[in-house]
Amino acid sequence: MLPLRQPFDVAHDDAQANAAQTSGAPLTLGRAIVVTSGKGGVGKTTTTANLGVALAKRGAKVALVDADVGLRNLDILMGLESRVRHHVLDVLEEKVELNEALVRDKNFPNLFLLAAAQSREKDEVDTESMRDLIEELREQFDYVLIDCPAGIEMGFTNAVVGAQEAIVVCTPEVSAVRDVDRVVGLLGNAFSPQLIINRVRPHLVHKGKMLSVEDVNSILRLPLLGVIADEPDVIVSTNKGEPLALRTDTATAKAYHTIAARIAGEDVPAPMVEYKETFMDKLGSLLGGRR
Amino acid sequence: MKARKIVLTSGKGGVGKTTATVNIGAALAKRGHRVILVDTDIGLRNLDLVLGLEKRIVFDLVEVIEGRCQVRQALIKDKRFESLAILPAAQTRNKDSITEAQMARLIDELADMADYVLIDCPAGIEGGFRNAIAGADEAIVVTTPEVSAIRDADRVIGKLAERSIPMRLIINRIRPDMVRSGDMLSIDDVCEILSIELLGIIPDDEEIIDTTNRGEPLVLGEGYRLRGIYEKIVRRLEGDLIPFTNLDAPGFFGRLIGALKAG
Repeated sequence: MLPLRQPFDVAHDDAQANAAQTSGAPLTLGRAIVVTSGKGGVGKTTTTANLGVALAKRGAKVALVDADVGLRNLDILMGLESRVRHHVLDVLEEKVELNEALVRDKNFPNLFLLAAAQSREKDEVDTESMRDLIEELREQFDYVLIDCPAGIEMGFTNAVVGAQEAIVVCTPEVSAVRDVDRVVGLLGNAFSPQLIINRVRPHLVHKGKMLSVEDVNSILRLPLLGVIADEPDVIVSTNKGEPLALRTDTATAKAYHTIAARIAGEDVPAPMVEYKETFMDKLGSLLGGRR
Repeated sequence: MKARKIVLTSGKGGVGKTTATVNIGAALAKRGHRVILVDTDIGLRNLDLVLGLEKRIVFDLVEVIEGRCQVRQALIKDKRFESLAILPAAQTRNKDSITEAQMARLIDELADMADYVLIDCPAGIEGGFRNAIAGADEAIVVTTPEVSAIRDADRVIGKLAERSIPMRLIINRIRPDMVRSGDMLSIDDVCEILSIELLGIIPDDEEIIDTTNRGEPLVLGEGYRLRGIYEKIVRRLEGDLIPFTNLDAPGFFGRLIGALKAG
């Protein structure tokens, strides 16, 4: 199913040099990282958008590739939907040059989006051409982040084919953990998958009504990049097309910046989400433990 | 008499298809109907987990289609309701292990054994989606009030319309406080964009997380806030005219905060 690749050892301090060494290409080749999960709606696209912004903010040249042909959304999250003129399939079918299809971000001149085709099907993508396209992007960019569609069909195969590394996004739900575990199995011994646990509600974990970070990772046992809290802000940011990582002052924005720093090889601890008793919790226990 | 064959679909993943399938199915069973839930998410099955039946799986949908067992052998009866059963998806196979025609025949066979066959569709619009809708004669489109989910739902509605499958809409995970503050699309906004008949509005409630993880559908429990909402959806599905709850009215805490502000 998946092409077998050399095990890719992502050393945190020198991953870029490693990337170049493993592929035997010049040292300047960027890192292609697929963001995947198996289950839908766990936050793959949100993660891709925010890590793209956070890495661009650090000065890196970043390309975001929406691999969800037929159900694209990365353009909406980046607020670029009205600027998309060409898409991945136009490039693969050589209707336009790659550089014509790349949409420059509104906020960062070093951040670009390659949109998915909306009115086409995933099985129209040629897997080998997709691999070549990602390689071409790696020549121009420090990071190529590939937003993988939900599921493990052709869309998944085409999203991972050009990547050397994987970030798997999971939520603290048994169904998501099971799907992620399956995807990690499909990735095999390649891609050095690292984990982001998304949508954690600390007060629910505290009450024993949600799986904890430890619960999730006792099953998955993956290197943890970081933990992101569940916040209504995310919905607003999605609807507005303004990724939270554009800011630096909120806890979630900071968490994305820390994860980006870790991806870039900085030795900083993984961001976690801590439980703090809120006014509503106190009120709740005062009223006699509402569920 | 043949069962109604209803697919639950959305395009986008994680909007609540499986949760809705299980709770609508359980609520129908509670009303005395014979219900079969079919998990078509081959390779990423989850319906069994949400009902807490994962340890009882012996055969799966692909094995039935390949003729390795009888349908009746693969159906797993729910622990709580005799009249509720699931047909689990295969976990270690691919979605292209079966064809649309095979799926349509299987759903037809199940329809002879039940009053309702609910088909839980995988995310996306690839082969798994085409298989899931192949045997259905009605659809419930599930969405959330987010631009990305609505765009995906719109795409799925187009695909269902191509096949002339009648469809109705469930809007899941509404947060009335965010709608009021203008941070979330309202029911009217969503209905205007998608313009299909509304079947239900489900507020975002934390109780769904815990009940899902425990494999206990909340419609079968006591004291859950969302139980009544699912029961109304099921009654609408059966043709009753039930008015929609006005979620814009402030709840207890809203009134409390309002009173504090006014004071």
